[in-house]
Amino acid sequence: MKTDVLHAVRLARLDLTLVGRNTTVLFNVMLMPILIAAVYSTFPVGETAGVSGRVFVLTGVPGLMLAFAVFVNLVNAFTSRREELVLKRLRGGQPSAAAVMAGSGLSALVIFLGQVVLLGIWVHRFEGILPANVPLVVLAAVLGVAVFGLIAAAFSGMTPNAELAQVTVLPVLLVMMVAAPVAFPADALPGPLAVVAGLLPVTPIVEMMRTGFLGANHFTGGGEKLTMVEQWVGALPSIGIMLGWIVIGALLARWLFRWEPRHG
Amino acid sequence: MRTPQLADATGAVLDGLDNVIEVGGLRQKYGDFEAVRGISFTVPRGEIFALLGTNGAGKTTTMEVLEGYTPATDGTVRVLGLDPVKQHRELRPRVGIMLQEGGFLGDLTVAETVGLWKGLSEDAGRPVTLSGGTELAGGFTLMGRVRRVDRAIMGALELVGLEKKARVKVKQLSGGQKRRLDLALAVLSGPEVLFLDEPTTGMDPEARRTTWKVVENLRDAGTTVLLTTHYLEEAERLADRLAIMHEGRIHTHGTVDEVVATSGDMITFRLPGVSWTFGDLPTLDGVAPVLTYDGGGTEVGYTLAGTDTATRAHAALRPLLAWADTRGETLGRLAVRRGTLEDVFMRVVGEV
Ligand SMILES: Nc1ncnc2c1ncn2[C@@H]1O[C@H](COP(=O)(O)OP(=O)(O)O)[C@@H](O)[C@H]1O
Ligand SMILES: [Mg+2]
Repeated sequence: MKTDVLHAVRLARLDLTLVGRNTTVLFNVMLMPILIAAVYSTFPVGETAGVSGRVFVLTGVPGLMLAFAVFVNLVNAFTSRREELVLKRLRGGQPSAAAVMAGSGLSALVIFLGQVVLLGIWVHRFEGILPANVPLVVLAAVLGVAVFGLIAAAFSGMTPNAELAQVTVLPVLLVMMVAAPVAFPADALPGPLAVVAGLLPVTPIVEMMRTGFLGANHFTGGGEKLTMVEQWVGALPSIGIMLGWIVIGALLARWLFRWEPRHG
Repeated sequence: MRTPQLADATGAVLDGLDNVIEVGGLRQKYGDFEAVRGISFTVPRGEIFALLGTNGAGKTTTMEVLEGYTPATDGTVRVLGLDPVKQHRELRPRVGIMLQEGGFLGDLTVAETVGLWKGLSEDAGRPVTLSGGTELAGGFTLMGRVRRVDRAIMGALELVGLEKKARVKVKQLSGGQKRRLDLALAVLSGPEVLFLDEPTTGMDPEARRTTWKVVENLRDAGTTVLLTTHYLEEAERLADRLAIMHEGRIHTHGTVDEVVATSGDMITFRLPGVSWTFGDLPTLDGVAPVLTYDGGGTEVGYTLAGTDTATRAHAALRPLLAWADTRGETLGRLAVRRGTLEDVFMRVVGEV
């Protein structure tokens, strides 16, 4: 166990080094999410759920940044490393399978948390808002990285090579962009769609992030102030949905993830 | 005959385990295609065992089962008395693997790659004990920070002759240099068992000799080595024992001498004229000759396969010379030569 943790940390540091050495990856993983946040924040006018539209978007946009910083990043990393037989070599070396996966997840978490911190500074600097519940924000990030890391592992299993990774990630990206309640509250979608959107893993993350930043009810309500206890109680269904997705993601990854390229 | 001692019920390895690698009736299928068709061999501690075979013989497949990548379709395999798949966690730190190809991160430098492997090994409680003659200092250059390269890393690079490439990106190495880096990684943590899949493919002759030396030194220090190769010379030079593998089966195995002995000794000579037939010539050691006619003469060849490998050539020459004396013939270009590994190999792969 201790060995696995040491290995995971070492491999995470390796991942971060390698992100810095590859311009394409650097752009996709580091700049793209910030760009998305910047672009989304220019859309809204007026007020949504008790805050300015821009604040509403900025506090929820981490749900979408996750798509690039974690999902696209890891599908690409897993697929290209499988193609280059790096995964095979690692599995034959000292680290266990769990440590290899955890290492990639950990590096993605560091990158994503870094971006959330940047966003926090941005929101504070220009909107004068300090995050109300940092642990809730961090928990949302951890759960988000876990779910999308596992789904990325599963999707990389369905991706024959690194070039096609750009294509296989599209369905997930599209669903996230459409369904995530970034620009408007989840219940603004028509009835059944709202229910579906609420069950997708991206919605609980957006809502936990937003509530964590603003200290107000963005789970079921329209932005009424909540006490710390009420924030956590309000987050429970979202946490439950995320835990459910972790199980689903783990099963999918187990079923679909491949350590080696297909033969011939 | 050695008696294998298996791990006891708790999976702990008993002292005095003789056969470090045991393969019994191994079969391996990919879908309907059977790549390995029931092979058995054992490798005692401190021995180099070579699987010699053409491409597609099933060598890599066999290695990967032993390395724990996939469970065997059928049959048993044990490495250090452990099941390579079920007891992978226990086995992993004690085994060094050189895969047939690839698996490097091209953006890392050579020293960083070794450093990564060294770190992973240390994390697992196996410190690297190699020590090089020098170390490279870290510092700042126009291109950014360069990291220090410590003596352990340099030691590994010196071992395989890559010390001058420490700061080169792995993607800029030649094929042979990558193989050498691969070897450095495989031996880094002082493994008890070393799996080398075509270790010298793509190397120049000098690098190949260096590699052989490294492997021999490890063997002399007690490491057990299983290697695959399609170079006869490599098997002949390195292997304490070898097996010739073809289409998923082992056809011959033993020490190089034992295997070569099965190929028989060759006696060849030339007779004038093209009117010779089998009936004219004697049988030697129970073998009839093979005749080929060319350029107005007859080439005669015998392959002696008698069981007394040390004396059969001598024993066959006596009646042959007596026959020549009686007939008043001179045996032109008379040659006696021992069979070679190549003869056996070619016979096994069906090209003779
Ligand atoms: N993953 C695989 N799926 C299907 N067939 C395979 C696979 N790996 C190897 N083979 C086939 O199995 C046979 C043995 O391959 P291999 O073990 O790589 O041989 P060698 O290492 O002796 O060249 C070959 O015919 C090869 O095409
Ligand atoms: Mg092979």
